[in-house]
Amino acid sequence: MIEVLNGGTRATIQDAGRPGYRHVGIPQSGAADKLSFALANWMVGNRWDAPAIECALGGLHLRFTEPTTIALAGAEMWAQINGLNVKNYTAMTVNKGDILTMSFVRDGCRAYVAISGGLKIPEFMGSASTYLPAEFGGYEGRALRTGDKLTASNRPREAPRKIPTGYTPRLSRHIVLRTRTAPEWELLSKPSQRHLFVSPFVATSATDRMGSRLRGDRIDSDNTLSMTSSPLLPGTLQLPPDGQPILILADGHCTGGYPRVLQVIRADLWLLGQIAPGSQVSFRRCFEGDSSEILAGRNSFYSGEHGGMIEGFAF
Amino acid sequence: MLIKPPRILPYGDSALLVDYEVEGYSEVANTQLHHAAKALRSDSVWQEIVPSYKSILCVFDLAKMTMDSATKKIKKTLSQTPKTPQFSGKIIEIPVVYGGKYGPDMAAIKKSSGLTQSQIIDTHSGQDYRVCMMGFIPGFCFLSEIPPALQHPRHPSPRANVPAGSVGIAGWQTGIYGLDSPGGWQIIGRTPLKLFDKTREDLFLMEAGDTLRFIPSSKAIF
Repeated sequence: MIEVLNGGTRATIQDAGRPGYRHVGIPQSGAADKLSFALANWMVGNRWDAPAIECALGGLHLRFTEPTTIALAGAEMWAQINGLNVKNYTAMTVNKGDILTMSFVRDGCRAYVAISGGLKIPEFMGSASTYLPAEFGGYEGRALRTGDKLTASNRPREAPRKIPTGYTPRLSRHIVLRTRTAPEWELLSKPSQRHLFVSPFVATSATDRMGSRLRGDRIDSDNTLSMTSSPLLPGTLQLPPDGQPILILADGHCTGGYPRVLQVIRADLWLLGQIAPGSQVSFRRCFEGDSSEILAGRNSFYSGEHGGMIEGFAF
Repeated sequence: MLIKPPRILPYGDSALLVDYEVEGYSEVANTQLHHAAKALRSDSVWQEIVPSYKSILCVFDLAKMTMDSATKKIKKTLSQTPKTPQFSGKIIEIPVVYGGKYGPDMAAIKKSSGLTQSQIIDTHSGQDYRVCMMGFIPGFCFLSEIPPALQHPRHPSPRANVPAGSVGIAGWQTGIYGLDSPGGWQIIGRTPLKLFDKTREDLFLMEAGDTLRFIPSSKAIF
């Protein structure tokens, strides 16, 4: 069993999410940084999509009441077991009574703690992912807090696995996202279009699993444009009349009424989960053929027949 | 009435938007697109099919399909969709307590429309509405056009909390909040029905394509 001593800023249970319900207003949710989440599970010998803990910004403290194998991945937090530093992107065995502390984040936003066997969490609409706005999924539909008790599936414990050189993602405080255009792109003036690609933005404190409000040089949009509420996706950049863009994340609204100007390419969506308040965010243009090649390359690198290690994983 | 065939626009690298070029609300376009959305959803290659007022979002897996083949698939489905399909869907009655503490923006609508509260209630509940789209938050239903007299822009900045079941107006749209949520719509009443209930076997009370009929109630059990 795992006891939550402190839930920290916001820690939730996530898995691969529940895709396919946007038409009824339910976003896919799931690990905001799918790659780090999958690597954490891989290191403890789990299926890549087993339920794990996603800890945003830090502050999570856990006590293990029995020996098990755990792995850390994602944001760079100062992690310790019983007061001794442990490395990110590694798996380790923990003993009865050991205490894991995740302190404040240095790079990135969300860290993943995977436990051998995967956490035992009832599924709601086919997924264990927590969706806080509607209070369902995960641990009683809410963020973890002091006193919560988690159990892992009792599968034989696997030896920790080591990520081969070159497979660990590098996170920086400046997140560069490659994009393709979204439906209302043409409504922007040429200078505004150029502006989006050259001007860096900063993620404001209005940044969570639903979305991130960005601040930067104001981008002029056509204010006379009134839009009927229309579908949105994670990775969509919306431009409200105040000229400060909103980036939609894993738990974001399924529809919205502001012009959709850019869409992050599929291969870069995992990076959205590492945008913290204060992160720099830039957008780049990706060409159509490049985007599918990047995706094919990344998928085969992590899950392909030659050297790819995470079975069944895809960006 | 016939409408122009929709455009198919790229939406990022692994989604397409089927976009009907109509001004405001078009019953014909909405009926057509819900038929097309149903047909598209029966094909498992799509990861998401999201119909809305005037467009359908179709998400595919770029690792398995290209933009071109996805476009072709959509065109084929659209060509098989009847141009003037018959409407089908359930009719659902929604009891609503209008005004008072359940409709804090009734006064604003009275002022802008020049109507009395009972005229507003008669107008708002005097026609059936199509569920054009679900979304925003679980259970939120976006309905078809309200009579011009009641149309009113949303609040310039959203309220921190709008209770579940609140019936609101935003421009020519009307809708019902599925959950307690921040929101900017003008609230004129509330229904005790739960549009989304995570403890119910049928999680949702309705789906896009259904018809709603508001029944004014003097008192309802909340």
